[in-house]
Amino acid sequence: MTKATTTPNNGPAGSIYDIGYRRYEGPRLGRANAIRSLFVHSLRSSFGLGRGGRAKIAPVILGILALLPAVLIVGALTLFAQFAGGDQVGDEFAAEVPVRYDTYAGTISTIVILFCAAQAPELFGRDQRHGVFALYFARALRRSDYALARIGGFIAALLLLELLPQVVLFLGRVLLSPDILAGIREDLPSFGPVLAQSILSAALLGGLAMAVSAFTPRRAYAVAGIIALFIIPNVVAGVVVGLGSSAIGTWLSLLSPTTVLDGTNAFLFGTRLDTDFFFLDLPEWAFVAAALAGIAGSIGITVRRFARITA
Amino acid sequence: MALISTSDLTKRYGSSVTALDGLTVDIEPGIVGLVGSNGAGKSTLIKILLGLIAPTSGTATVLDLDVRTRGTEIRQFVGYMPEHDCLPPDSTATDFVSHMALISGLPRTAARERTAEVLRHVGLYEERYRAIGGYSTGMKQRVKLAQALVHDPRLLLLDEPTNGLDPAGRDEMLELILRIGSEFRIAVIVATHLLGEVERVGSHLVAIEGGRLLRSAPLHEFVEQTGTLAVEVDEGSALLAERLTADGLAVVVDGRAVLVAVSDQRPFDLVRDAVADLELPLVRIEPRRHRLEDLFRDAPP
Repeated sequence: MTKATTTPNNGPAGSIYDIGYRRYEGPRLGRANAIRSLFVHSLRSSFGLGRGGRAKIAPVILGILALLPAVLIVGALTLFAQFAGGDQVGDEFAAEVPVRYDTYAGTISTIVILFCAAQAPELFGRDQRHGVFALYFARALRRSDYALARIGGFIAALLLLELLPQVVLFLGRVLLSPDILAGIREDLPSFGPVLAQSILSAALLGGLAMAVSAFTPRRAYAVAGIIALFIIPNVVAGVVVGLGSSAIGTWLSLLSPTTVLDGTNAFLFGTRLDTDFFFLDLPEWAFVAAALAGIAGSIGITVRRFARITA
Repeated sequence: MALISTSDLTKRYGSSVTALDGLTVDIEPGIVGLVGSNGAGKSTLIKILLGLIAPTSGTATVLDLDVRTRGTEIRQFVGYMPEHDCLPPDSTATDFVSHMALISGLPRTAARERTAEVLRHVGLYEERYRAIGGYSTGMKQRVKLAQALVHDPRLLLLDEPTNGLDPAGRDEMLELILRIGSEFRIAVIVATHLLGEVERVGSHLVAIEGGRLLRSAPLHEFVEQTGTLAVEVDEGSALLAERLTADGLAVVVDGRAVLVAVSDQRPFDLVRDAVADLELPLVRIEPRRHRLEDLFRDAPP
């Protein structure tokens, strides 16, 4: 056996010197750090960061689409402010635009659902497909830590997707208002509901999407499952209502994540639900309860799934 | 202090499958071969030692920590290279190994530095910036080893590390394992069904079969008790056998080869002298590689 050691005295300049193996004597940060690292990794991976260029296409396009309404509205407000000159017209326009804080979540809900379907399987599906989770379990992580860090990272990514456009909207409105302080005073109260609604929406849609993708390594199945979960209950509820059982149909609509989020939105902003399609005379807290139950249920199922999976 | 100590360790899956059956063994630091045929319980033992699965009964400690209650602490100081694929194809080796370093508890700067060092130690250079999906099996095995090594573990558990490698890749992997054990001074347990590999790198051998311990002994003891020297001559094998038997050796003629039981250094000299005295046309003298089954057949129960 020959030892692969370099001989520094006769090697030409620029040769690689083997400095040998160095021990690591520094701190070992333990479980909390492992959870935090995995959370950040999940958040970044959701946007395709740290992966190849192709992985960034879908999240970047969807991110731009989510921002587009806010950018357009702010642009339109800017034009009005410049050309109309008077504040009157701008204010009237601002009051008329369909994209407001209380409608933004609904406006981009399709984009958020597509983001869930496209990106949630990237996290759990990838780890299962390639057996990576065995390596995570072999670290100072518990199985539930792994599941929660991955879910948390994805929910944080959705939260970013939903909140960033509304921050743009807020900044645009405030900076364009004649009295900035007054603008802040006017818009700031909306931010409580905006934040609450975004958290509920990100946690419910993200939690459900991650629960579906935890059960299959196959990306196509996960995508189909997520879309089905978000759309089919809505359709079923509609059909049941159409058949004349509006009471049952209404309760069934609590199984539809999008309807539930419409309900929590109405509850948080104090608006009324559009009752043309559904006969929704449920108490509004029922939607919040349904959302919280959905969040807890989906996270619980996912944690259980990874407690049992064989590594 | 034993590196690993198990006592009456048993793992059953359901009521019918017994993966480990009352295994009691102490393992000291060094390069230890964990040998057994497929399904002998090697992977199950490794997973119990990592705290990934709980034993049905019995106890096990790693680095003096109980696997049942101190799993997360154990895993901070243990590196694990699984048998199966475990690499995301769309990450680069650098990204992936430094990510695993962070998860293993290294601060960001240390993670980056050690990733670069470890990838160099396992022999990945420019290709470490390319996506793992395009790697050969040999390169993937190196990345798997690097992620197990990146946090400078006290103990390295390698499950079939040469799986799927061609002979050259196999040699390089064994060479690496030898370096890790001797130069890096990290205790290594190599689970394998190939006895020949353990003979090349191991200092100690633990043989299990059907979830039970067959034997645990320093490697040279195995060789002493089961070693065979094959002496191949073009002609006169019967003559040679006669002479060696007269010298007091246990000998079997196998075609043109004479198989000599080897228990110490003495037979080597006797064979040399016998061949020289009889002026036989010697073709080769080589230790006969044992198949695992031979070892198990010869081993005392």
